Amino acid sequence: MLITCLPNVATQVGAYRIMTGNKFHYPVGNPELAPEDETKWRAQVLSAALKILQTPVESPTVFEK
Amino acid sequence: MAKILHYLNQFFAGIGGEDKAGQQFLFLPKPLGPGVLLTDVLKNRDIEYGTVVCGDNYFHENEDAVLTKLGEVMTRFAPDLFIAGPAFHAGRYGIACAKTASFARERFGVPAITGLFEENPGTREIGRHVLVIQTGASTASMPSTLKRCADLAALILNDDRDGLEAFKEEFCLKIPRRFTVQADAPDSVRALDMLLAKLRGGAFESEIPRIQAAPHPIPAAIQDLSQARLAMVTEGGLVPMGNPDRLESSRGTKYFKYSIKERDDLKAGEFEAMHTGYDTSTVNADPDRLIPVDAMRRLEREGNFARLHDYYYVTTGTGAMPAKMQELGVGIAEEILASGVNGVVLTAT
Repeated sequence: MLITCLPNVATQVGAYRIMTGNKFHYPVGNPELAPEDETKWRAQVLSAALKILQTPVESPTVFEK
Repeated sequence: MAKILHYLNQFFAGIGGEDKAGQQFLFLPKPLGPGVLLTDVLKNRDIEYGTVVCGDNYFHENEDAVLTKLGEVMTRFAPDLFIAGPAFHAGRYGIACAKTASFARERFGVPAITGLFEENPGTREIGRHVLVIQTGASTASMPSTLKRCADLAALILNDDRDGLEAFKEEFCLKIPRRFTVQADAPDSVRALDMLLAKLRGGAFESEIPRIQAAPHPIPAAIQDLSQARLAMVTEGGLVPMGNPDRLESSRGTKYFKYSIKERDDLKAGEFEAMHTGYDTSTVNADPDRLIPVDAMRRLEREGNFARLHDYYYVTTGTGAMPAKMQELGVGIAEEILASGVNGVVLTAT
């Protein structure tokens, strides 16, 4: 699966499992949070990513975080 | 009556092999080698045929002089069509074909054809509008190439534009290069004209070709994540501090893998991002924001999946050629598959 802030480009080039990242220059970062909170937040994002890996798709699909 | 000028090296002109690669540039008012076969296929037409020959070494050692002489022949003979090669996978010959065909097309506006194998280095020297028939690697594909060359020559001489487009689509190499061209208006004007046309619902044509991605099989969903090994990949250019393998920061042509074995997170100062396409400072301050080792280790410990792969893979995805990226993607995918990885999280900037 792909985490990107350009899901439209990802869809165009035919990636199948797409999740919108947080920011273009740090897709799985959230620097406004305290470090421990950021890791927790990131674990939630990646947990959603793991669900996407287990989800069947039939065409390029952009999933919600 | 149509005039065709054909460029050949010493070998295809029948002068000799490597020992004759120093052959000087010469013009002959008749077809030679592949040109004889071509005129045979085109025998129903009234064609005046000229051949220019140059040894492969002579061309490369005296390129400017050869092109000057070719220019004199172009002016004197005034061909309607320029053909070079085909050169198949022959490197020096391929480059000479690309350069002479581009010269004929660019300086004299004469339609130009050559024939190259897709990996011939000549493909990197092809100028705008030169038609490159895709050939096999060896002269075994000479008959089919010449047949196509004759078909293409007929389309050009008949000014059959629809036929030409169809031919290009089917038989010509796509040359993935950027060319410098002179436009009628500055880019700001062209962009606004296009925007206005779009807002009005009118017709417009983007100057940037859309990427035509070939469809590929849908990766199956992971059935049992608790048994799965997962890997991380990024195009965000994250490398160990100091960039030991010299990953390019743009127009990437390489990928690398770096160990995250026994790492619980990636620390500032140990990794850095090589990438001119985004502001890397936030990632450099905490590389987990690109390659989320901390979060993946947490999920691994909690038993969400079996194991995090010992390496992450990285390239730089800015300013790069889609074809090159595809090649790198295939390389990464093959390596990852061979390591028994079942799923990938790929972050893109």
